[in-house]
Amino acid sequence: MNERITLAHGAGGIQTSQLIGGLFEKYLGGPHFTKDDAAVLPSPQGQLAMSTDGFIVSPAFFPGGNVGKLSICGTVNDLACMGAKPLYLTCSFIIEEGFLYDDLERVVAAMAETVNRVGCEIVAGDTKVAGKGQADGVFITTTGVGALTPGAAPAGSRARPGDAVLVTGDVGRHGCTILLARNSFGIDADVTSDCAPLWAPVRDMLAVTKDIHVIRDATRGGVGTVLYEVAGESQVGIRLRRADVPVKDEVRGVTGMLGLDPLYLACEGCMVVICPQEKVPAVLEALRRHPETKDAAQIGTVTEEQKGRVVVETEVGGETLLSRPTGELLPRIC
Amino acid sequence: MSARDVIQRALGVIRRYDGPPVRIMEVCGTHTHEIFRLGIRGLLPNQVRLISGPGCPVCVTPVGYIDEAIWLALEKGCVIATFGDLIRVPGTEMSLADARARGARVETVYSPLDALKLAKEEPDREVVFLSVGFETTTPSSVISVRNAEEQGVRNYTILTANKTMDNAYRALKGSADAFLYPGHVSTMTGTAIYRELLEEGVSGVVTGFTGAELLSALAVILRRLPEGKPFFVNAYPRVVTDEGSPASRDLVRRFMEPVDSEWRGIGVIPDSGLQLREAYAAFDARKKHDVPPIRGRANPGCHCGEVLRGSIRPDQCPMFGRACTPVHPAGACMVSSEGACAAFYKYDLRQEQQ
Repeated sequence: MNERITLAHGAGGIQTSQLIGGLFEKYLGGPHFTKDDAAVLPSPQGQLAMSTDGFIVSPAFFPGGNVGKLSICGTVNDLACMGAKPLYLTCSFIIEEGFLYDDLERVVAAMAETVNRVGCEIVAGDTKVAGKGQADGVFITTTGVGALTPGAAPAGSRARPGDAVLVTGDVGRHGCTILLARNSFGIDADVTSDCAPLWAPVRDMLAVTKDIHVIRDATRGGVGTVLYEVAGESQVGIRLRRADVPVKDEVRGVTGMLGLDPLYLACEGCMVVICPQEKVPAVLEALRRHPETKDAAQIGTVTEEQKGRVVVETEVGGETLLSRPTGELLPRIC
Repeated sequence: MSARDVIQRALGVIRRYDGPPVRIMEVCGTHTHEIFRLGIRGLLPNQVRLISGPGCPVCVTPVGYIDEAIWLALEKGCVIATFGDLIRVPGTEMSLADARARGARVETVYSPLDALKLAKEEPDREVVFLSVGFETTTPSSVISVRNAEEQGVRNYTILTANKTMDNAYRALKGSADAFLYPGHVSTMTGTAIYRELLEEGVSGVVTGFTGAELLSALAVILRRLPEGKPFFVNAYPRVVTDEGSPASRDLVRRFMEPVDSEWRGIGVIPDSGLQLREAYAAFDARKKHDVPPIRGRANPGCHCGEVLRGSIRPDQCPMFGRACTPVHPAGACMVSSEGACAAFYKYDLRQEQQ
């Protein structure tokens, strides 16, 4: 079938109803999915976390996922970083006129699958169609609400000297995948995006200990950017051991060729976790039970000295600053 | 032996060095970058000093060259095609980026062949490729000229500032006790030049770019220097052969001839540059467009020269990290990632907090 999305699908008439009924409701409909102007939801106990994020990745389909899966993972992971169990999501689509209906279906199906895996719901949505050339493919914005885990309060300002710095998986894989998918370098390598929802591992980690000081997902800017943010917000130094940073061989090969540092490439299924050193074995054990975080590892420590800086112990034992990238980072990776 | 074992063994030799002070100059920009990225300077005993030599083509290109390119762009309306790094190098009055803001056309290319392609796509414009670089990049400039001639392209020229390393070593031999010779350049030149230098009493080691390769080369130097006899070791034999690439050398020789050349911070070194032979004057931007003699003037606060000669560390320049940063470079050494100042700024822990 080569049916394409037209301006009529966004005009509010029959085609719009068909699109909502035949596609969005079919895949995303749940107990609270609304046909009215706003979803009505039971309120959970305690405090809420709320987050929103727009997704314009190019290309929309890439090894390991597509913009639909990404749009759920992004918001679910933002909530998880606050220790919040994702409950309700909304999604807003901006679709370029001419986008293939089948492709849209693949995007929406991936969203449904991810939502089901996390155990949250999409409760409301919106669809707009932009004229040809006024958008590129499909843009999705998701907004999510989650229930905070009582007793957990991770924040970028809470890293303390002596804490351990962990990553929940190998770094730089999503950024590397997108780079290759754009095919501008003529490099062939078997790299798959790490795009994954991480609420389940975070939940299990918090079940082991609530004493997690920082959780932050390393999306745009990668792990390196997160570490500098935390060093600044917590007024501490961070010391990394380069040899301990998990990087897939393929990613290492590609970044080596292009002169990029995997620490600055985006991840979509990897978080930085900072916790007291004595909690590390239990935290790693909890994380490693999940396939998406099986490569979790400690990569460094928080220090009193070198406030605001990230220091790397290099593979030959030297000490350097983690260099901060200048110039243009890769656009439209998420 | 695994890389890790090689590193440990080399470090053992290096740490045990207790001889007199030595100065070792790396003459390859990629070596400079890797030495800083790996934090190798901090692993050396105090009396062992590494000096970043003139191996970054952007860094040694004199200010007047940038001025020539800007003159071609603004006065002659030429399209300037260049590797990206050069665009931000300050000239006397402005950089090519500034010239672009004033209406000049400056295009980034990844190869001179892309520049030639641009000329073919726009036959009404004069395209000038900024031909800088050492033995590794010169052949591709030459090929673009050869192709332009074969294909009858009349609106393509190159502005040469190509340099050769052999006379630079001779000019610099008093500045260092031993050289880390470049891995890539040596694949073209071969090792004959290093054996000639050995006859003249110059010591050095050719090496590659990994931590294990760099540390091994340093270990070799520190072990051989105390013996008091000049030495040459090819520690990169899987890549660098004795004969190098005669084909590429012949190609360059057919189109280009040696010329005295100015190295930023070092001065004019006789026969250390290359220009197109008279037979190819139609492809020489200076000749075709009557570029007037231009004497560039560097920013007077800039200490690039002393950095390039190794007489000061980058952070000892008063502008370092303040008036001169990678985002707003005042001197060429802060522009290229192979420049000593940019590498120091990115990686070295000794700089002040920004």
